[in-house]
Amino acid sequence: MTVLISFDIDGTLEVGDPPGPLTMDMVRLVRDKDFLIGSCSDRTLSAQRAIWADHDIEVDFVVGKHMLPDVKAQFEADVYLHIGDREDLDRQYALKAGFDFLWPDEAVAHPHFQADS
Amino acid sequence: MTKQGVEPDDFSQPFWDAANEKRLVIQNCVGCDRLQHPPTNTCRDCDDGGPLEWKQVSGRGTIYNYGVVHDCPVRLLQQDQPFNLAIIMLDDDPGIQMYSHLPGVAVDEVPVGAAVEVIFEPSANGQLVPEWRVIAD
Amino acid sequence: MTTPTAPDAMYRNDEGLGIWEHRGKVAAVGVGHAPTSRRWDGRPETCVGAITIDALRKAIDDAGVPPDQIDGLVVVPVTTTGAFWEAGKPLPMDVIQSFQQTDDPLDGIAKLSAEWLLANMPELTNVKFTMYGPGCMSNALNVTAQAVGDGLTHTCLVVKSWHNFEGRYYQGGANAGDALPGTPAITQLWGGPASYSTALQFAEYCRKYGKTHDMMAPFMENSRRNGLRFPEGYWAQHRPEELGPEDYLASRWIAKPANLFDNDIPIMMSGAYLFSTAERAQDMKQPPVYILNHASSNTRPRSLVPTLDEVEADTARTGRKIYEGAGITADDLSFENMYDGFSLFHQFHLEGLGYRGIGFGDALDFYQTDISIEGPNPVSPSGGNVGSGRSRVWMHTDCIQQLQGRAGARQVTGVKPEVGVSGGPMPLGGNYTVWSASPD
Repeated sequence: MTVLISFDIDGTLEVGDPPGPLTMDMVRLVRDKDFLIGSCSDRTLSAQRAIWADHDIEVDFVVGKHMLPDVKAQFEADVYLHIGDREDLDRQYALKAGFDFLWPDEAVAHPHFQADS
Repeated sequence: MTKQGVEPDDFSQPFWDAANEKRLVIQNCVGCDRLQHPPTNTCRDCDDGGPLEWKQVSGRGTIYNYGVVHDCPVRLLQQDQPFNLAIIMLDDDPGIQMYSHLPGVAVDEVPVGAAVEVIFEPSANGQLVPEWRVIAD
Repeated sequence: MTTPTAPDAMYRNDEGLGIWEHRGKVAAVGVGHAPTSRRWDGRPETCVGAITIDALRKAIDDAGVPPDQIDGLVVVPVTTTGAFWEAGKPLPMDVIQSFQQTDDPLDGIAKLSAEWLLANMPELTNVKFTMYGPGCMSNALNVTAQAVGDGLTHTCLVVKSWHNFEGRYYQGGANAGDALPGTPAITQLWGGPASYSTALQFAEYCRKYGKTHDMMAPFMENSRRNGLRFPEGYWAQHRPEELGPEDYLASRWIAKPANLFDNDIPIMMSGAYLFSTAERAQDMKQPPVYILNHASSNTRPRSLVPTLDEVEADTARTGRKIYEGAGITADDLSFENMYDGFSLFHQFHLEGLGYRGIGFGDALDFYQTDISIEGPNPVSPSGGNVGSGRSRVWMHTDCIQQLQGRAGARQVTGVKPEVGVSGGPMPLGGNYTVWSASPD
């Protein structure tokens, strides 16, 4: 099963402003599970790329908040999941684009982010 | 799109009462016979500030300009994003503008310059609110 | 002491007033900025009152003036346009108890009074003149320059600060409710974001002159580049991210044709200056920057949003007022720092000034040329709000620092910095200052 996870940054990832609960090691974990991963943020595309490069994490996409439909069109997956901390800018965008959605705290506890699942 | 409800106050009561009767009224200065919108307590042009009245207008206008709202601060409207938000200029006085969501017009396909006529749509609490629709050729 | 709001007579709103009567006799010397942050973290030492005190003390120190020689204080009392303390939200008593509080418990937290500042800056023992210049630093500067020129104060501080709380601008309060009171409902039911009106003016501009939103990209890139060289600014301090054309053009719309980066990022900040008479300023620690003129616009649109015709008529009128009172022409401007928050109206200011000879409809083409600080036609060397976050202050700080020759990595090099202009906010209804390295 192919899983695609889109991460918001600010308020979601530990490197965000404000920091969120998802650590970069958690991101590496799903990367190692061969999930398709990337970021979907109001940060500039170049700033998103810089964050991933700084942490030596290879991602499949970086996009703006409004570009989840483009991600879905570009990548074949069985599960499309967006994780973010805003009702309007994350949850609503995700649901409109046909993604599942998790709040950051929910994501931390989700089996995707457990090493043995 | 359902707009927030309206709770008329003393000042705005005539505007909203007229809307419920499907009439569009605009504030007018009796002294200088000049419309003004948005309404205020005094005439902006007369030294003595008025007197002011609510004047029924034709309900005809043209689309002057528009934008497309993708990130709206009003919670009730967020579910309808993106949506058109146009400026209508009244035929009675093209200097007078009113907002419109242009019901029936596809997002970002707004015919600037097209003729429109006023309609009245219920808001969340049933108060009728002036809106505008394009007049078919 | 109750602080009055500046009377209309202190602003130069009209054409035909001639040379400003205090031209070259008032000077800015000291500059102070507090560290920026994205949002208030709830601590007493980072509340808007505390950072304002920090900025004021830095401005005093920068000018090298003993605090007891300061006899005036001009304050912008409002410290936000869209981040309000929610009704019923508990007051932060630990913060309130950390300061000498006025009767208003949100003073120093969500607003600022001169009384609060004086109560918490005991070193200011000789302040006899206080006044509010409501709105922006641009207003307050006009008031300060006029007050010093009129002799109401001799050595005067002026300060503008911004607070920012959790949550998004404008999303709470009435906008979150199910109904609106009838009078505001007449205009607010349709839900236009703050940048909507500017977006419409820009849309009309593009239709009239055959321009596109993409043509803004060089201006945005240049502004952020300059802002990243502004060590007092938000982006330089916290997120040194460039804003290239791909970054800008890929951004989501807020109110098309205004996108996310056409809207400035709200922050916590405070900026302060020390003004004095040109004569007294000679003995201070920094070189004086002389005020050649201040000008204002009190024009209002006829109806809901300004039309392009109204914008162009008023920016042209503003340009004439700026030059008339300063006794200069557009050719005398070394650089410009007109307001940019929202970015889509900066070109209206430029065209109204006739900066570098451009006319209506020319600015976006001008943006495609060399507008860098190294070139002959520097545009917004401060980087403005695009470059450093929402403050409406950077443009003024940059004018002072450019003319003092201490703008650091931002210093213009393609022209000799002799005369600059700054001000805003909107094309209709702004306040402007003409700054000069020389009183003549």
